[in-house]
Amino acid sequence: MANMLNIGVSGLNAAQVGLNTVGNNLANLNTDGYSRQTVVQSEVIGQADGRFTIGGGVNVDSVQREYSSYLTTAVWQQNSSLQRATTYNDLNTTLNNILTGSGNLQGALDDFYGAFSTVANSAGSSSSRTALLGSAGSVTAVFNTLGQQLSSQQSQVNSQISNTVNSVNDTASKIAALNAQIRQSPPDQVPNALLDQRDGLVKTLSGQLGVSTVAETDGTISIYTSSGQSLVSGNKSFALSTGNNVYDPGQTDLFDSAGNDITAKLSGGSLGALLDYRNNVLNPAQNQLGQAAIALSSSINAQQAKGLDANGNLGQPIFSTPTPNVLPSTKNTGTAAISASITDVSKLTTSDYNLSYDGTAWNLRTSTGQSVPMTTNPDGSFSADGLTFSVASGTAQAGDSYVIQPTRNAATSLSVVQTDPTKIAAAAALTTTAGTTNNGNATVSSIKVTDPTNAALLSNAKVTFTSATAYQVTDSSGNVLSSGTYTPGQPITANGWSLTLTGTPGANDSFSVAANSNGLNDNSNALAMAALADGGVLDGGKTSVLASYGNLTTFVGTAGSQAASNLSTQTSLYNQAAGAQQSVSGVNMDEEAANMVKYQQAYQASAQIITTAQTIFASLLQAVQG
Amino acid sequence: MRISTSWQFQQSLSTMLNQQSALANTQNQVTTGKRINVASDDPTGAAQALSLNHILASNAQYTSNIDAANTRLTTEGGALDSVTSLLDRARTLALNGINGSLSPSDRQNMATELTQIRDQLVQLANTTDTNGAALFAGTSTTTAPFTKNSDGTVTYNGNDGQLNTAVGSSLQVPIGDAGSTVFMNLPAGNGSFVASAGSANTGTLIVGDNSVTDTNAWNAAKISTGGAINITFAAGGAWTATDASGNAIVDSSGNPVGGTYTDGGSISFDGMSINLSGTPAAGDTIGVKTDQSQDVFSSLNNLITSLGSGASDTQLANSINRQLESIDQAESSVTNTQVLIGNRLNTLDQQSSAYSDLNVTYTSALSDVQDVDPYTAISNLSLQSSALQASQQVFAQMKSMTLFNYLK
Repeated sequence: MANMLNIGVSGLNAAQVGLNTVGNNLANLNTDGYSRQTVVQSEVIGQADGRFTIGGGVNVDSVQREYSSYLTTAVWQQNSSLQRATTYNDLNTTLNNILTGSGNLQGALDDFYGAFSTVANSAGSSSSRTALLGSAGSVTAVFNTLGQQLSSQQSQVNSQISNTVNSVNDTASKIAALNAQIRQSPPDQVPNALLDQRDGLVKTLSGQLGVSTVAETDGTISIYTSSGQSLVSGNKSFALSTGNNVYDPGQTDLFDSAGNDITAKLSGGSLGALLDYRNNVLNPAQNQLGQAAIALSSSINAQQAKGLDANGNLGQPIFSTPTPNVLPSTKNTGTAAISASITDVSKLTTSDYNLSYDGTAWNLRTSTGQSVPMTTNPDGSFSADGLTFSVASGTAQAGDSYVIQPTRNAATSLSVVQTDPTKIAAAAALTTTAGTTNNGNATVSSIKVTDPTNAALLSNAKVTFTSATAYQVTDSSGNVLSSGTYTPGQPITANGWSLTLTGTPGANDSFSVAANSNGLNDNSNALAMAALADGGVLDGGKTSVLASYGNLTTFVGTAGSQAASNLSTQTSLYNQAAGAQQSVSGVNMDEEAANMVKYQQAYQASAQIITTAQTIFASLLQAVQG
Repeated sequence: MRISTSWQFQQSLSTMLNQQSALANTQNQVTTGKRINVASDDPTGAAQALSLNHILASNAQYTSNIDAANTRLTTEGGALDSVTSLLDRARTLALNGINGSLSPSDRQNMATELTQIRDQLVQLANTTDTNGAALFAGTSTTTAPFTKNSDGTVTYNGNDGQLNTAVGSSLQVPIGDAGSTVFMNLPAGNGSFVASAGSANTGTLIVGDNSVTDTNAWNAAKISTGGAINITFAAGGAWTATDASGNAIVDSSGNPVGGTYTDGGSISFDGMSINLSGTPAAGDTIGVKTDQSQDVFSSLNNLITSLGSGASDTQLANSINRQLESIDQAESSVTNTQVLIGNRLNTLDQQSSAYSDLNVTYTSALSDVQDVDPYTAISNLSLQSSALQASQQVFAQMKSMTLFNYLK
């Protein structure tokens, strides 16, 4: 009888535990990271009673988490990729909006080049010249705005990196604290709630940074970054820190607890996205925009220098051409100051460079690590990729290095330096006159300025054919400047100009070259500047400024659309992983309802057993009394 | 597979959110009419749109260049029309001036009218375009390329340059002609040579029409004679010819050229032919000079001087004949310029119509690239909104689907 009561009570207990567990599951239905719990019960081994054994009721062994470490780890990994894709997509979306929203560069460039055509249509009119300077201002403003927007995204990226690192450190220290608590729990009492909390934190951490985890035998979890730096080990966490890039104070880098720069080694999570975006999208976009700005200013200034302005002087620059950033490493021990300048815009790339001194020679590498051969100039400077470097002062020590950013801030620093409309060099610099006694039928097909810096460019000169095949060029005092054999179609050069004839010159024929001071209403140089709209400037003269902006648009657009499609892929991958994990650990309300009914009925049944036991006992008493 | 209730809610919620964002995107496309709102919508398309917009902007600029060039060239053509009619009038006056029955005062009146014609011509040669720039100044900044001096001569202050305008990426069209080519450095005489009666002639010989009849022979003679030929008459109209060095000119057989001229006849050798009238006195000469140049103003001035000089009829006829030749050269120079202007205007018209055709092509290409197809967009919009409604309905039904509803 007593046994029956005991069995009934054990059933009541078990059902109650079951009902409590159901209640807890339902209560945590919407708790993030909660793993549903189930009751594990077993039959109490009864005592043998002669020929048979009667069971002793039910035992509640444990309330356990429904949990799969494999599925949970998969969720962490997918979360890392998802958060990376999300942050990456957000940044790219912002960039695409910046590009669309910060003014229409193509329109501004077309207006600017068109303004040269308008000047050409009425070279003497000051209103068209003033309008041209206005368009120069507009195109500069668009470049500046775009450049500033990109720079401000650069600083946003920096502050996001710092914020994310703070959260990483915060999360890591919380995990370490939970590790300590979990380690202290008695082995038979599984701390379900603590484990769930810790799993949730690891998931958060994986969203911030790509991590790998190792479950230790003492119940703690060790966490490493994707490159192997320890973040959490037992009850200890190792803080990451942020600081300025060793070259560029405008870029925030990451350092491990020992102070090593680990920026290049991190990947995954939102931190990985920020670093990846900065390296592969934002910096190249800034460089490409800067390259277009330099191409614009140097091509216009160069053509401007080849013409005469309304006052009869050689054209002065319209734009200030931005100069490369030279950033010495803070670890440099030498005193050398490096100066860098753009000497050939047609060879200019969008790359950044690292210039280093090994004690005997200077070496140049691109930011991606490719070695770039340099040529040494007669004055001791070095040239490569359209750039010229020289040691402006001081001496370098072995191991000193510098980062050169030829185009990074060019879009921001582009400015219009010409304010005087009369100084637009619309007219050709030189004019030619055929000798009045020429017998040949040669005529001048073109005279081009090849070196506007030649001091004698505008001086009078005379090409005389000493015979039909030999010529000499003399200055106004009769000194011979150059002479040679005339090959039809080949230009004759002197004083920084190059003269091309068509037809056949006769002996004693002459052509005078002089400054075009009497032809200042000429518009041929304005037409040449207008033609730069389609003229190749970059990539060895293949890419125009507009085409370079088109390339930037494609680059930014492609990055944006790839980020978007990657996000949708990662979202569905994450959903699969999370769905699989939830199918094991998530709470199903209908299941709990059924369990509730099950435990409720078990409770009622066990209660009935006790009632029956009582009734039997009462019957027995009655029979005895009876 | 077990379904986690909260995951189920979350999933159906995120489905709805995704549908909403797709719907918003389509709505944006329908309201803006654009398929590409940011570059990432279609990176290649965005770059294409950029270059199409650039082509359209360039074409618009070329079209406006063409308009400006049209105005300038039309003005130039108009000025040259007036020049032609002035020269026609000068020609008529000169022809009348030869008429021997005129009195000195008639000739003086003619001279006065010719003076007015010259002044008008100076004014026309100083015509400016709508921006106030002189049409015939070459590339010089001067606004009055032709100035009349106190003695009536006219000086050209411009240069020989020519202005162009860009009407295509590698096509430039001249939009002016230097005054030096139109009015100043004109060939004299018949264009190849000037044949003029010697100033000391005493006969009644008048040099009439003359021309090159055999270009090859003439070109050879130009070199062999040194560019100057002197025809001298002896008594009875017999003539001989010498070159610049005074040597007798020989024909292809090596015999000296020569012959006898009779009134109304002509003299021909070395590929040239000179019609003459009147009777030469012995010792009278005709000088033939090659590559002479003149300007239209000095020709008019010479006419004015001749008409007022009171010279003999023969001298007057000889002098006026030479100026008539010069005026003919000036008229042909003006006509040639007008033909050039016509050709340029033709080019401009062709380019202009090409651009208006291309504009249609490129605009529709641009629309294909960046504009949304309204039918597709609107049908997408209704499809997406009904899908969203369906999801919302499913969600609403799902909320009542729990076992707890039946446990009462």
